[in-house]
Amino acid sequence: MKKRVLVAMSGGVDSSVVAALLKEQGYEVIGITMQVWDYSQSCDITPGQGTCCSSIDVQDARNVCDLLDIPFYVMNCESKFQAFVIDPFVNEYLEGRTPNPCVNCNTFLKFDHLFVKMKELKCDYLATGHYVRKTEDNGETLLVRGRDQVKDQSYFLFTLPKEILPHLLFPVGDMNKEEVRNHALRFGLLNAKKRDSQEICFVSKLGYAKFIESRVGKDLLNSGNIILLPEGKVIATHNGIHNFTIGQRRGLGFEHEKPLYVVKINPKTAEVFVGPEDLLFSKEFSVKGLNWMTSIQDGEKFTIKIRYRHGGSQGQITKVGENNFKVNFDEPQRAVTPGQAAVFYRGDRLLGGGWITSNPIQ
Amino acid sequence: MDTKVYLDFNSTTPILPDMKDHVISKLSAFGNPSSVHWAGREAKKEITWTRNLISQNFNCHPLEIIFTASGSEGNNLALQHFSPTAEKNEIVCSMVEHPSILKPVKFLESKGFKVRWIPVAKDGLLDLEYFKTLLSTKTALVVCQLVNNETGNIFPIKKMTKLAHSVGAHFHSDMVQGLGKLRIDLAAMDVDTASFAGHKFYSLKGAGFLYVKRGVKVPSLILGGGQERGRRAGTENVLAISSLGYALSQYMPHFETKRDELTQMRDWLENKILEEIPGASVNGAGAPRVAGTLNVTLAGVDGETLLINLDTSGFAISSGAACSSGTQEPSPVLRAMGLDFEEASQSFRISLGWPTTLSEVESFFTTLKESVVHVRSLSTELTQVDQGVQF
Repeated sequence: MKKRVLVAMSGGVDSSVVAALLKEQGYEVIGITMQVWDYSQSCDITPGQGTCCSSIDVQDARNVCDLLDIPFYVMNCESKFQAFVIDPFVNEYLEGRTPNPCVNCNTFLKFDHLFVKMKELKCDYLATGHYVRKTEDNGETLLVRGRDQVKDQSYFLFTLPKEILPHLLFPVGDMNKEEVRNHALRFGLLNAKKRDSQEICFVSKLGYAKFIESRVGKDLLNSGNIILLPEGKVIATHNGIHNFTIGQRRGLGFEHEKPLYVVKINPKTAEVFVGPEDLLFSKEFSVKGLNWMTSIQDGEKFTIKIRYRHGGSQGQITKVGENNFKVNFDEPQRAVTPGQAAVFYRGDRLLGGGWITSNPIQ
Repeated sequence: MDTKVYLDFNSTTPILPDMKDHVISKLSAFGNPSSVHWAGREAKKEITWTRNLISQNFNCHPLEIIFTASGSEGNNLALQHFSPTAEKNEIVCSMVEHPSILKPVKFLESKGFKVRWIPVAKDGLLDLEYFKTLLSTKTALVVCQLVNNETGNIFPIKKMTKLAHSVGAHFHSDMVQGLGKLRIDLAAMDVDTASFAGHKFYSLKGAGFLYVKRGVKVPSLILGGGQERGRRAGTENVLAISSLGYALSQYMPHFETKRDELTQMRDWLENKILEEIPGASVNGAGAPRVAGTLNVTLAGVDGETLLINLDTSGFAISSGAACSSGTQEPSPVLRAMGLDFEEASQSFRISLGWPTTLSEVESFFTTLKESVVHVRSLSTELTQVDQGVQF
């Protein structure tokens, strides 16, 4: 009896190659796209240049499924996406944090909604084009960084419940981007040369700040003071804390001689604190909402990434309260940002992660 | 999938096997029907033949027929030209119309008409008494379909037309879903305009027609050559029109027998569902319905998921949800009939057709029941909330 796989297709090269590979390997493949956003609202649709899940991309995914002769369905998930990705995204900025919407999409849409669909459609697996691998360590299924270190997307998957891992397939996790594109050419997939979606899928070229301003009443976007540290004096004003993120140097909105960086944001007072680079470094921060894929030893040291593009650094975690944990780095790290995810690795094994809530240094 | 079973005849129909030879033979009638020569006349003959068959079957004059490309075109042709005046600036329209009626009506609203909507209840009954209260001397146009595409409900067009005329209003009826399903006597019903589409009755896609009662003016939407006596320009789809003629001449005589067969199969399926699948209810069952259409709500079963499940097993049905690439709202028709969002999302439609066999319906029921049991057995609670994930 052929195993049946539900392939989450974005219209991009990676998920298209996944569908083609799995069919080649003898699986019964069903392609599905989640329509999460009405792109006519935000973007210029330039032919050949869709972003994730736009109507051009739905068409690209459909074309791939026609070519592979597999069923293709589009599921409308707009309201769920709105509730679990977009609204929290806007909210985080209003609360002075820098969100990571891709993690929420994975948590609530891809690996929740689609996982349920997988079961409802009597599929054995759910497959995606994520650059991540799976392994078995002592009978436990774990996620492993993708072989392509630049493309590795394990960071975004820390919220996955470990129980669902055995039902997931990541066929391109073991490849680098070039190999994936070669497969695409081999299969004759038209989107082989399509550019990768790099930015947030629902934010247009106008940028995230404009996006937020279009969705929030003006009374919530308070202007406020920009305060220079360590002196503590007001040196400028700003038009809303949502324009800033920790570590930001450019676009502060005023002239300054020495390099200045955003080091802290106070949403209650709408104050943005800037200072010299050394103020950006900290050794510890709080996390909550932890998800573990395996157990760790007390006092174990592991690699921690505080941003997708962070190289990762050694540290450990201690419990300080009911749902409150503290992470300590061996070496001070630059720009620990509330709202971002802290993701833990043992070598290339993904251990789990949580959300950065505050930087206790300030 | 091994065997494919088609149960979505309200959406469209295949041509029946015996029509294939007719269609192939008519490929030779390739001429432009407007041409004077033998090639043109051969093509024109097909159109005239079908026009006459329509006239016989639906009790109208051949010249009261305008061939169109589709039912949607017919609806637009019938409606778009209305403009409000000081004395006549209202439209009365049913709440359960097809988008190709609703969009033109919205367009007319933007022109300045006030639209009053006729409600239809969950059991499928159109409130005639309430309809009367919506009419006034200000009513320019009344629009109501003959048969509803989702539930199969039949509406009292003859009565409604009489009431509309009593206040000097024009009556248009979208009769697309009625073709081949019930006797249609256009003269007796006295509607001013009525739209039809060939592909709902075992003919090729690409031809429909608009009935326009003698004396009623309908300005052309498509301007150009003088086809259809200047009322609809464009070289005619001779093959599709000819196939419609074939359907009318060969199939219409049998439609009553077929109707009874379909009614039996539909009723069998309906009873099976109500008896053996808990939480099932039929939409529109309290009012007259055409044979073959069954619209069901199944509590706790997402219509879209059910559709896909059945599709992977080879069964083609339709769900109450609007097509996934479009709107969020599931079935505006069911919502208008009083189903809430959840109920409408958990509804699906089966529509049987002339090729349908009882064994197909039986195997459909078996698969339906299995799928429903399977979907209901899965816990669909969000699994993430317990993880304390921030959102």
